[in-house]
Amino acid sequence: MTDIYLRSVFLSVCLLLLAACSESPPVFHDIERPVRLSDWQLFAVGANELIPSESSVVFRPNNPLFTDYSHKLRTLWIPQSLQAEIVNDEINYPVGSVLSKTFYYPRSSSTMLSKVADSGLQKINLNENQLIETRLLVRKSDGWEAFPYVWNDEQTEAFLRVAGASKQISLFDQDSTQTTDFTYFVPNENQCAGCHTTVHPDGDMRPLGALFSQLNTGSREIDAGIASPLEQMVQNRWLNDEEIFPLSVSWQDPSASLDDRALAYLNMQCGHCHNPEGAADTSGLILDSSQTLAINRGVCKPPVAAGGGAGDLRYAIVPGQPEESILLYRMRSDKPDEMMPELGRSLIHSGGVDLISRWIAKMPGAC
Amino acid sequence: MKYSTLRIISIVSAALFLASCGSEEPAMPELSFEEALQEQLIQAKSGDVITIPAGMHEITRSLSLNVSGVTIAGAGIDESILSFKNQVQGAEGLLINANDFVIRDLAIEDTIGDALKINQSTNVQILRVRTEWTNGPLSTNGAYGIYPVQSNNVLIDEAVAIGASDAGIYVGQSSQIIVRNSRAEYNVAGIEVENSTFADVHDNVATNNTGGILVFDLPNLPVQGGRNTRVYNNQIFANNTRNFAPEGNIVASVPAGTGLMIMANDNIEVFENNFEDNNSANVLIVSYLINEIPITDPNYDPFPEAIYLHNNQYTGGGESPDSEPLALLQAATGQPLPDIIWDGMLAEGKAAADALCFSEAADTSFVSLDAINGFAQPSFDSAVHDCVLPRLTEISMSLSSQ
Repeated sequence: MTDIYLRSVFLSVCLLLLAACSESPPVFHDIERPVRLSDWQLFAVGANELIPSESSVVFRPNNPLFTDYSHKLRTLWIPQSLQAEIVNDEINYPVGSVLSKTFYYPRSSSTMLSKVADSGLQKINLNENQLIETRLLVRKSDGWEAFPYVWNDEQTEAFLRVAGASKQISLFDQDSTQTTDFTYFVPNENQCAGCHTTVHPDGDMRPLGALFSQLNTGSREIDAGIASPLEQMVQNRWLNDEEIFPLSVSWQDPSASLDDRALAYLNMQCGHCHNPEGAADTSGLILDSSQTLAINRGVCKPPVAAGGGAGDLRYAIVPGQPEESILLYRMRSDKPDEMMPELGRSLIHSGGVDLISRWIAKMPGAC
Repeated sequence: MKYSTLRIISIVSAALFLASCGSEEPAMPELSFEEALQEQLIQAKSGDVITIPAGMHEITRSLSLNVSGVTIAGAGIDESILSFKNQVQGAEGLLINANDFVIRDLAIEDTIGDALKINQSTNVQILRVRTEWTNGPLSTNGAYGIYPVQSNNVLIDEAVAIGASDAGIYVGQSSQIIVRNSRAEYNVAGIEVENSTFADVHDNVATNNTGGILVFDLPNLPVQGGRNTRVYNNQIFANNTRNFAPEGNIVASVPAGTGLMIMANDNIEVFENNFEDNNSANVLIVSYLINEIPITDPNYDPFPEAIYLHNNQYTGGGESPDSEPLALLQAATGQPLPDIIWDGMLAEGKAAADALCFSEAADTSFVSLDAINGFAQPSFDSAVHDCVLPRLTEISMSLSSQ
């Protein structure tokens, strides 16, 4: 009902534009690198709303990356009549698939944005929210490619910023009534590859959120009443329904064990670089849950090239002693040369710090 | 070129958009020097030379290059300066993941973390590049100046590295390396070759560092078994700067006043260097065990073996050691410490000559520290090390000239 009302408002604002765009599905650009996000036709930008194309599936992975408390609207689109396949227990998206992630904050006042939990909007009210950027991950003929688009202040268009961008943000926390001023960084295209190229340096980019295990989200409270992205993919005939969907633990799931939650968190936030073939394998610290030897997972492991990031501490993880653990020190830092992950945040993720701190505190053993 | 083409396309499409919809066209943002440079680096094609004009260019975010076959060329080591004094993002100044890469004639200053990091790249030339922290040796300086890691065929020539809180020039987990004609000053480690194989380090000047030149092998890394390094014809003098590395890092254990330190590496040939006035030790050879860190890596060999020193010159040094066992030894003897110091630790079944051979001038002094027995009975007898090892072969690499 609301939808229809807003559409008519939108119509009255720009009839021609709507006629041209609203019914048009997204467009895949294989060779071109559109300067404007609108050229992909992923959204209808109405008078007051950013509405994903009806042909897209809106999704939230079980373990989203932390990005300075921004909210995220993610879409997945596969061209009509094409299908994804399951290869080696992972979704193999066909050429033409477009993943988008729009970063935004709810407004607190005319100058301040609000630090509140992501409510998982399916479309974004532009009076109540401020759009920051939309990142695309596009499956081209020669592999995935990333495009960072940055929204203008008027929220009428987002432009491709190959070299990234930065924005000053004042974030108001309702609970503590504190305001945090910080610089939000939009990654450049190389930085996109820095995380999405999980096999370094010659591997292809790949999605980190739109993974098989991350999309089976049906049991989550936040998604009550909405079919899981995998179910929607089946409904759209993008996937065959006989597949058995695996489920990954969410780091926020209170019913999961502390161990499982901590490992899920580290895997998602760190494992894209700290895996046996990742860019950070140079450190010998492997956080993607693949290692059986405790020292390779950081337990009593001395730093290699951490510099000041070691925080004058001796080991990545000291069982029972979070305060003595470099891992936690780097999660708690917001200095660019010390903090981990190196990219993707300017602020400290207090929820993650709490979880890893409790996990290390309960870990048996000593160094 | 590409940019302007895009621009024309966007202007044309903007005009069409305006005509069709009648609303005002959103404006494209302008790019700063820094953004334009990063855009060039991203959109570069093999064969491109990206020039950094003379002048001081302020950069606030990490720069990076992932395209192979690209040269970054400045106008001179003191003329083209990328200054990161106000850096707000990124763990390094310039990050390279690209083969057939050349960087020359420029300086990278005051990065918040590492200055020039080159990760998993092949055929890399770093020519007349300076990395420097301009406020002197501070523990808040970035860790590494010039930092190729897991890379092969690396030539570092006529570089200058100043002020790194770990190593000025650091080659890690790499193979086929030449570091020559370079100067490392006021770093914790001047030049460090770590977990690497087949390296030539020659004709360099290492002075005023905590340790002049380090050749290390560490456990629990994907690439280890460091060996086959030649260190020759270097000037290694007065490396007496206090150790300003942050705790926890391996170089934090290097005593101030170390000329050359070899840890756990095998097949190292050290010759025709000039060691002078390194006040802990001109040459220090140790096992990883000296760190008293438990070794959990079953594939790791903590002992240095086949270390061969010959025809080096030693003048002064060993007068004010920055290490408790060394200071105690000096107090006990009342003499400056010997020119060559070995911790004396051996793998089971190995003899002293398996670890260390030297053919030096008759007045070259030596001590084996007996570290395994708490430094109880140091031995000054060098006779068991009077042996000759086969010379190592020169590293040669064919790299395209740029």
